[in-house]
Amino acid sequence: MKLRKSLWRIFGPFIIAAAALLLLLYAPFSFGKVSNATLRRASVSMSSNILKGNKVKDQAVKQGYVPFIGSSELSRMDSFHPSVLAAKYKRNYRPFLLGAAGTQSLTHYFSVQAMGNQMKNKKAVVIISPQWFVKKGVRPSMFDFYYSPVQTAYFLAHAKNTAQDRYAAKRLLQLPSGTSDDVVTGALENVALGRKLTSFQSFYVKDLRGKMLKQEDAMFSEDFLKNNVPKIQLAASKLPKTYNEYKLEQLANQMGAQQTKGNPFGIKQKFYQNRVKPLVKHLKGSQTNFNYVSSPEYADFELLLNQFAKENTDVLFIIPPINQKWANYTGLSNTMIQQFDRKITYQLQSQGFNNIDDLTQDGNQKYFMEDTIHIGWRGWLQVDQRVRPFLKDLKAKPQNYKIQSRFYTKKWQTQTDLNQMSTTK
Amino acid sequence: MINLQPYANPMYFAILGVALLPLIIGLLNGKRLYWYGTLVSFIFLVLIFDGNKIHQGIALIGYGIYEVLLSWLYLRYRTNSKNKNSTPLFVLAVVLAIAPLVVVKMTPLFSPNPSLLGFLGISYLTFKVVGYIMETRDGVIKTFDAVKYIQFLFFFPTISSGPIDRYRRFVKDYDSVPSREKYLELMGKGFHNIMLGFFYKFLLGYLFGTLLLPQVAHLAMISRGGFLDISWGLVGYMYVYSCYLFFDFAGYSLFAIGVSYFMGIETPINFNKPAIAHNVKDFWNRWHMTLSFWFRDYIYMRFVFFAMKHKLFKSRITTANVGYILLFLIMGFWHGETWYYIAYGIFHACAMILTDAWIRFKKRHKGMFPSNKFTYAMAVFFTFNTVCFSFLIFSGFLDTLWFH
Repeated sequence: MKLRKSLWRIFGPFIIAAAALLLLLYAPFSFGKVSNATLRRASVSMSSNILKGNKVKDQAVKQGYVPFIGSSELSRMDSFHPSVLAAKYKRNYRPFLLGAAGTQSLTHYFSVQAMGNQMKNKKAVVIISPQWFVKKGVRPSMFDFYYSPVQTAYFLAHAKNTAQDRYAAKRLLQLPSGTSDDVVTGALENVALGRKLTSFQSFYVKDLRGKMLKQEDAMFSEDFLKNNVPKIQLAASKLPKTYNEYKLEQLANQMGAQQTKGNPFGIKQKFYQNRVKPLVKHLKGSQTNFNYVSSPEYADFELLLNQFAKENTDVLFIIPPINQKWANYTGLSNTMIQQFDRKITYQLQSQGFNNIDDLTQDGNQKYFMEDTIHIGWRGWLQVDQRVRPFLKDLKAKPQNYKIQSRFYTKKWQTQTDLNQMSTTK
Repeated sequence: MINLQPYANPMYFAILGVALLPLIIGLLNGKRLYWYGTLVSFIFLVLIFDGNKIHQGIALIGYGIYEVLLSWLYLRYRTNSKNKNSTPLFVLAVVLAIAPLVVVKMTPLFSPNPSLLGFLGISYLTFKVVGYIMETRDGVIKTFDAVKYIQFLFFFPTISSGPIDRYRRFVKDYDSVPSREKYLELMGKGFHNIMLGFFYKFLLGYLFGTLLLPQVAHLAMISRGGFLDISWGLVGYMYVYSCYLFFDFAGYSLFAIGVSYFMGIETPINFNKPAIAHNVKDFWNRWHMTLSFWFRDYIYMRFVFFAMKHKLFKSRITTANVGYILLFLIMGFWHGETWYYIAYGIFHACAMILTDAWIRFKKRHKGMFPSNKFTYAMAVFFTFNTVCFSFLIFSGFLDTLWFH
């Protein structure tokens, strides 16, 4: 009797704490809705936990936010940024920014697939950075930074024997993130081979680990958000009260001129001082051999397209340019960029994604680019020219997508001879 | 192949808890299940060194056979009454005992690949072997018991990074069974240690090491260019790294001690609130204690005795100071053959010499300095910062900052 008491004194508190934790992690109750203020903040935070989570995103889309999927350019929050324009002119939509420096197609695929049918018959905007399409594709450390176990669990729980799922599983297994959990690795291997999960794997990803991750997401994904709302408000306060294309264009010219003074590239002076000037000598001719035409990113991107097709999501694709002066200085090849543009456009159009805003020819326009590769001022205004009519109606009409699994092949990833494809157009 | 690195994650503790259950029930009932304990130890050792770590496992077995043979031969020599207690032979035995470790430590100087002789925990095993040989020389270890010696050397909770136990102390626990009251007390302490270890290693160690350290490192790297590249980022790095080092290592030691307690072995503690040390001497009595006591007993004390016996130096002070330099230089070289580990050793040797000098000076001039709560707090503050600075040297970050 005394022994039992002594043991309880030692282990009792731990047992109670562990039981409470398990209850919290596996509780059947949900943690309530995300408030509108939090949604507003989350929509411009670009925080990684938002991207990695499901709860906030799912609810945002349900309440009329439109995913703006991209990478570092989304952080260029000047007065003409999509989030600013939508808020200032009280449009019927609000962008929900998904992405930050280092997010590429694969991260976005896992994020969007975990939204499941939340995206059914909805709209989205995707900004495709040419810089994603480097020889080795997404950097493993970057992917790992945005890696979301809860989205992988969702993927596994819904995986089928399709080219899409097999490729996604195979791709994940090539990255350290995919091998960070032994059971998940085993499950991914099964999906990659087109097999079903074992019953334990299925129990693990759906219930044991899956539920826990879901609760974690529900409890913590609203916290630690970067607050960009003041930045957006400040940027909006500089805009004219009523929307006027001509006035906005003038203002963009004015602001651009003001902020790019003092450097030969016509880019934001702050960026020039901090990021370019210290290295300017090394940068000359440094990008001569850059190549965005052969890359596993094309197949990763196909995953995303496939997902949109599955849910009949209507998507506007924006292909931003590269600052021409910058490209000339660093020796980045124009021909190569055109090749990239043709290849990605072909991949889009041949599968029925015809809503493309190709800006690759605009890199030499004044105040179009905020810095070397990121659009700003007039660039954002140009984007708005397409976004505004596109989002007049937030419901997607039935799309005529024809997904072709050949875009997952190594052959397509590395194909540089583009004449072959233009004939099939 | 399943591979379990010691204390790597909470899962390890769950598995270990289940594996130790029969042993625990036995001890609660006044029995030590020797065969079962040996089996569990063996399995957990295999799990550390299997799979892709198999090369280390082979090195460990080779090393074990070699050191056990060496210890046995030396003990046989010492316990034969016909033999004198030859000093050259003793020196030879120690040199042979540390030879594998020296090879492992020197290899990085000559080759990009780690030595084939190396394995996780070789340093700590070598400390134990050398301690055993020294006590054999002293004649306090008289009988060779291969089973107990192997149990002592390969005691799995402490194999990778200590604390460094001593043979006779270990055997005393190993040969006896604690009373139920005593064992319950050990379990209570052990469990508390493990929980505190979680807090230290998985929460605070993570906070300082994984979340903060890269940030201050980045800050320090981008603000290079001033005098010696000193910046606020570097100052931040110094404190963050020091906290990381403590919480990571102290957490690890708490795990090892806690698990030992559950096995009925009272492994000595390794840290005793080092942040409140009031001078560097006090610090070394609180920080990585089993290591510093090992160095004190087996290097410093022995050197001092040797120097006094052979009258190497005229003054006691010189003897002590040379002893400090010897001790900390060896510690520096043991950490690794880089300039910053050796600089770290020299820094601490100087700090010890200065501390002694300061204490002597205060004794000679009694009443010259006030001694109160405030001066004590100042001493603690000063010691803390001195030690943190030494850890900045130790971290190797200055090497990155200045030369890379």
